[in-house]
Amino acid sequence: MRVELGEVVFGRDGFCLRGSGTFGEGVHLVSGPVGSGKSTLALLLAGLLTPDRGTVRRQDVKSVLLLLQFPEHQVTAPTVAREAASWGLAPDEVLALAELEERADDDPFHLSRGELKRLTLACAFIKCPDLLLLDEPFSSLDCETKRWVCGMIEERGSGTTIIFSHEQSVLPRVDTIWEMEDGALIGRGSVPGAISSWRHAPAYLTYALERGAQPENIRLSDAREALCRIRD
Amino acid sequence: MIRINDLRHRGLEIPELTLDARHIAVIGPNGSGKTRLLEVCSGIEEPGTGTIRILGRSPSSLRVGWVGEFPDRTLLFSRVYDEVASTPRFRHQPCPETERMVMAAARMVGIGDLLERRVASLSGGEKVLVALAAACAGEPEVLVLDEADSHLDAVTAKRLRQVVQESPAAHVLWCTQSMDTAAMADCVIFMEGGRVRYSGTPEEVFEILKETCYYPAIWRLRS
Repeated sequence: MRVELGEVVFGRDGFCLRGSGTFGEGVHLVSGPVGSGKSTLALLLAGLLTPDRGTVRRQDVKSVLLLLQFPEHQVTAPTVAREAASWGLAPDEVLALAELEERADDDPFHLSRGELKRLTLACAFIKCPDLLLLDEPFSSLDCETKRWVCGMIEERGSGTTIIFSHEQSVLPRVDTIWEMEDGALIGRGSVPGAISSWRHAPAYLTYALERGAQPENIRLSDAREALCRIRD
Repeated sequence: MIRINDLRHRGLEIPELTLDARHIAVIGPNGSGKTRLLEVCSGIEEPGTGTIRILGRSPSSLRVGWVGEFPDRTLLFSRVYDEVASTPRFRHQPCPETERMVMAAARMVGIGDLLERRVASLSGGEKVLVALAAACAGEPEVLVLDEADSHLDAVTAKRLRQVVQESPAAHVLWCTQSMDTAAMADCVIFMEGGRVRYSGTPEEVFEILKETCYYPAIWRLRS
């Protein structure tokens, strides 16, 4: 199972995205500044945009799901339970995972921003598609919920998960790091080797690297562990 | 100075709170009442019971600049220039004054190159910067940011912090999920279940939260 970008070029409103690369099974993190093209890349990989040139090929991918950055854009039903059902899922299971059992009959837009995000994330994780694209899954969430999301991502046993994020404090264990810079997709490679060349690494990783530590992955706990080993 | 007394409003319960600081970070779990507090402090909502005085006045009499987390819900105009100009225009400022305020705000936020762009063509983060410029164009006495940094990368978030720091606003109320950002405030208040659980300097409040994920990541590594 993989998604291949072959010399893709996509332009809109003076912005141009370019990139090549293969997203295989595992967890990929695509980071980059605001406006660098992360969301556009997510739409291209999901097949919701067509490149001007080049190809996006999905091989052995039977199901694709893109979770949008702003969860309100994903809402289609008037109640929380019916929103879960609109994903083709059993509302009880979704509401239990999202810890929203008490809000079943509420308007989704009456949920707090974090609750609405939790609802759409729970739907996505239960759907468990082959290709799961998460556009800024951590924004709007408190740190406890970010940890929950990390756990759900790490528990996905198979498939390809691509996270588009500039989260700087709570991140999951990932396999591969990519960056978007001025519309260009740059593959930094596999973790941990990719960490040292990751330009948009969180401050805690940069701090650890500057002290000679070599974290095995990108989580705060990995940075702490690596620093601890140096002290020993 | 911000003084809150006997406040009860839609799940908020704050018997007494006095904040004598310019930059106040509001932190806490989702659904703890942070946004509700910002809404009553900015005059968007009138409290059910109790009083709020900011700079000795009621919030609705102040010039307040509000930057929300979901700019798509608050941006009104299709061109960036018109969005930033909306604040002085709604106050019936003459055209030359409006132009001056728009250019000053755009320069301050660093979005001069976006002014002729269509709002719909901007990224989520760029929309937050446009909303910030529109807030600053009103020369606010109180600048309120409701998780406005949720969708910003580190570089843009740094720019946001600089703008907030340089803003002439007498008070900045900034609700954030970035504890590293909250640690830079003069005062931090931690909310839970509609109540202010802790308030004080960043050092005081984060010392209490040291065993939780609310402790700033970079402080965790240094400790």
